[in-house]
Amino acid sequence: MALTLLLLALAIFLVAGVPISFALLSASVLTLVYLDIAPVIAVQQLAAGINVFSLMAIPFFIFAGDLMYRSGIAEKLLQVADAALGRLQGGLGQVDVGASMLFGAVSGSSIASVSALGSSLMPAMQEKGYDKDYAVNVTCCAAILGVIIPPSHNMIIYAASSGLGISIGDLFLAGIFPGIIAGIALAITAWIIARKRNYPKGVFPGWPAFLKASIIALPGLFTAVIIVVGILGGVFTPTESSAVAIVYTLIVAAFVYRTLTPTTFALACRGAVQTTAIVMMIIGSAAVFGWLLALLHAPTQLAQLVMSISDNPTLVMLMVILVLLILGTFMDMAPLIIITTPIFLPMMMELGVDPVHFGIVLILTLGIGLVTPPVGSVLFVGAAIGDIKIEETVKTIWPFYLALIAALLLTAYIPSLTLFLPSVFQ
Amino acid sequence: MFESIAETISKLSFLLSRLCLWISSIGIVAITAIIFWQVIARYIFNASPSWSEQLALYLLVWTVLFAAAAGVREQFHIHITVFQNGLNKTRLPTIIFTHLVTASAGLTLAIYGTKLVSRLWQYPIPSLGLPRGSAFLPLPLAGALICFFAIEHIIANSRNEKVIPAWR
Amino acid sequence: NSNQPALIAADALSADYPTVAALTFMTDRLREKTDGRIKTEIYSGAQLGAERDTLEISMFGGIDFNRVNLAPLNPIAKSTIVPSLPFVFRSIPHMRAAMDGAPGQKILASLAEHDLIGLCFYDSGARSFYNTIKPIRTPDDLKGMKIRVQNSNLYVAMVEALGANATPMSFSEVYQSLVQGVIDGAENNWPSYENTRHFEAARYYSLTQHLMTPEILVMSARRWKMMSDNDRELVMESARESVPFMRQIWDARVNSAMEVVKKSGVEIIETIDKDPFIKCMQPVYDRFLTPNLRELMEEIQDMESADV
Ligand code: NA
Ligand code: NA
Repeated sequence: MALTLLLLALAIFLVAGVPISFALLSASVLTLVYLDIAPVIAVQQLAAGINVFSLMAIPFFIFAGDLMYRSGIAEKLLQVADAALGRLQGGLGQVDVGASMLFGAVSGSSIASVSALGSSLMPAMQEKGYDKDYAVNVTCCAAILGVIIPPSHNMIIYAASSGLGISIGDLFLAGIFPGIIAGIALAITAWIIARKRNYPKGVFPGWPAFLKASIIALPGLFTAVIIVVGILGGVFTPTESSAVAIVYTLIVAAFVYRTLTPTTFALACRGAVQTTAIVMMIIGSAAVFGWLLALLHAPTQLAQLVMSISDNPTLVMLMVILVLLILGTFMDMAPLIIITTPIFLPMMMELGVDPVHFGIVLILTLGIGLVTPPVGSVLFVGAAIGDIKIEETVKTIWPFYLALIAALLLTAYIPSLTLFLPSVFQ
Repeated sequence: MFESIAETISKLSFLLSRLCLWISSIGIVAITAIIFWQVIARYIFNASPSWSEQLALYLLVWTVLFAAAAGVREQFHIHITVFQNGLNKTRLPTIIFTHLVTASAGLTLAIYGTKLVSRLWQYPIPSLGLPRGSAFLPLPLAGALICFFAIEHIIANSRNEKVIPAWR
Repeated sequence: NSNQPALIAADALSADYPTVAALTFMTDRLREKTDGRIKTEIYSGAQLGAERDTLEISMFGGIDFNRVNLAPLNPIAKSTIVPSLPFVFRSIPHMRAAMDGAPGQKILASLAEHDLIGLCFYDSGARSFYNTIKPIRTPDDLKGMKIRVQNSNLYVAMVEALGANATPMSFSEVYQSLVQGVIDGAENNWPSYENTRHFEAARYYSLTQHLMTPEILVMSARRWKMMSDNDRELVMESARESVPFMRQIWDARVNSAMEVVKKSGVEIIETIDKDPFIKCMQPVYDRFLTPNLRELMEEIQDMESADV
């Protein structure tokens, strides 16, 4: 009854057009009152949901990306990319897939990746004639691959929740092939859509011009180098790298390109706090909502339903994926890994599924949940930065969903895709 | 009489929205500086300050909540308009309903946030020395603003007017 | 009356952890004793929030039973600082005797003014240092190392008093930071060292056993006030009965973790002279102990019979 109230209220508020964050919050408060639980929890969990150190990367990367865009650094980077891949139709789409995957992989955070690339790349792509929805869809879907391409803190959470002592090294290796396959699937989809929409095909400007553009873009390019080398080399954590990126961008904009003015800085601040507020309010409200879902045993109930239906391994795997996709639609990733791993893993192991293999399937599935509404934090960040309505992105995002789901099914039903690399390195 | 009250409200809300922008902008710059300092401190003094992470998180709640409150006035929060747009006669009541829901969410934050702040004021946040209750202070403040801004929209809508954006 | 909604119990650790087993045991006993009248639903794995959050929710009566570490209670009830201090206890049996005895009762009783009812203490083992560089035998070996600590002034002060560089960091970033060298080491008990797979990355484990801080089970005063005297006694009884049960599975858990870690070839430094470490702790005691708290600490340290 309480669960029905919670979901129904949310649906009504969303359809009426209440902002997503306040719809989540109000539905939760109503349910708390119904359950006779102190509504003070809503306030407390809202703050707790925002108060997460790793989430700090969101405002930082949004800020850094916005600065890069407004100071022209992003534009210069894009010129290089355009020159390199310009002859391919929709070449910037391919650049976007590659950059988002790489960034998501290194930072370990899909939201951080969308924040950084979205606020620098998306506006620049629009100026080159690409549609808003295309830029948002490509960036968001590619960014979530960071959850399975190592390093990934989600795998550490999974290993800890399994209670089996699964090696994190094995999980890291197992995520590589599925990540690459999903990346290729997205790249192909991006190319097909680019052809259909007749996106511009650049002209290769010749080597001297290409070289010149590259040299001009070098200080901007170095931002990526600092982040990648800094994180992998142990100089700073991914969250810290985002703050370093802002300061470095400020220095480059002020002293190298001399494009930093008080106005650009103020505009970047405004852009950053606006996007941050949109996203973090949803994340905070989703924490309240997730608190109630957990209290009402929504994940467990769904899992029990699956287990009661069939014991055919192929079918069970499919149903588990479905349940995770549904849950991933409403709740965020880390709490879902913690809740669902002890429910599903023993069952899958009984059916002969390797825990490393299942871990990758689980994490990839939940990762897809990050780009599906009503609660898809990565998609929200993308839409907020891309300045586009959620319903507009969802209208054209389905080919990318299909690509991701195809990669997911391959990963689920061909165990060697995940288990081959760990076996080689053993 | 009613005219002048509405005018005063809209002037006041314009200023409050601008104030929110300032608070949040200063907040994000401060947070960046703190975390950057944390990295530098670790390499120069070979030690991380114990307060930096906590202080940054503390300020993040202020930054987010005040910008989020202004977002109600400036209407930049993500919402689904596709069904709203399909309505004809009931469109205005639906829009007013959405503002009512938002206002009540703000009111909840204001009332229960105040409870949280006052109950937890006596306990310190260990690494900062600030009252734990103050970590929740932006919630009732922003909650009251959210409620106020939503009511302003209800008034404007029922008078067939628009709220003039302050974040330009 | 048997239709009344189940009470809510929260534990931030995962479902297979000994504290959750103890909580399950305790609430099962309570249900049996009341013929099914008082039922409890257990939410493990931080489903209802991190420890500081669930504790605050409990103070407001939103959660009925809450198992937490003492760290989040330190700023709320000062007496909990004493068992959280380094080298307060000589051994695990000493810790158990102190927490079962008068000092433990004093601490439990001190929670009432904060809208919490202290029920009992559970084991959390002994925390020791592990690192990626070399065996640690004396405080000198720690000098200059970057050691991750829980984000609390107390632990920062402790690690700095030993001459190392304290790096407060959230738990989820530790594994990656060990691998990539942002930090050189951290500290934890056997089960956590094993369960988090930190032993894969940090190959030296030195049994300094500097902290033996117990876990605690609390109840919301709101629910407590709604109960009859008889029910309150049954709650207390069930909590007391869960303690020996918890210790038994805790010891088994420590042993199995030890086995896994040893089998992986980690270098374990077993014999450590604790005296030089204890000597370094004076500034920490001076900073965190008020006269009242010092009295409590001396009461604990004067307990003699408990030594093995
Ligand atoms: Na990654
Ligand atoms: Na989703």
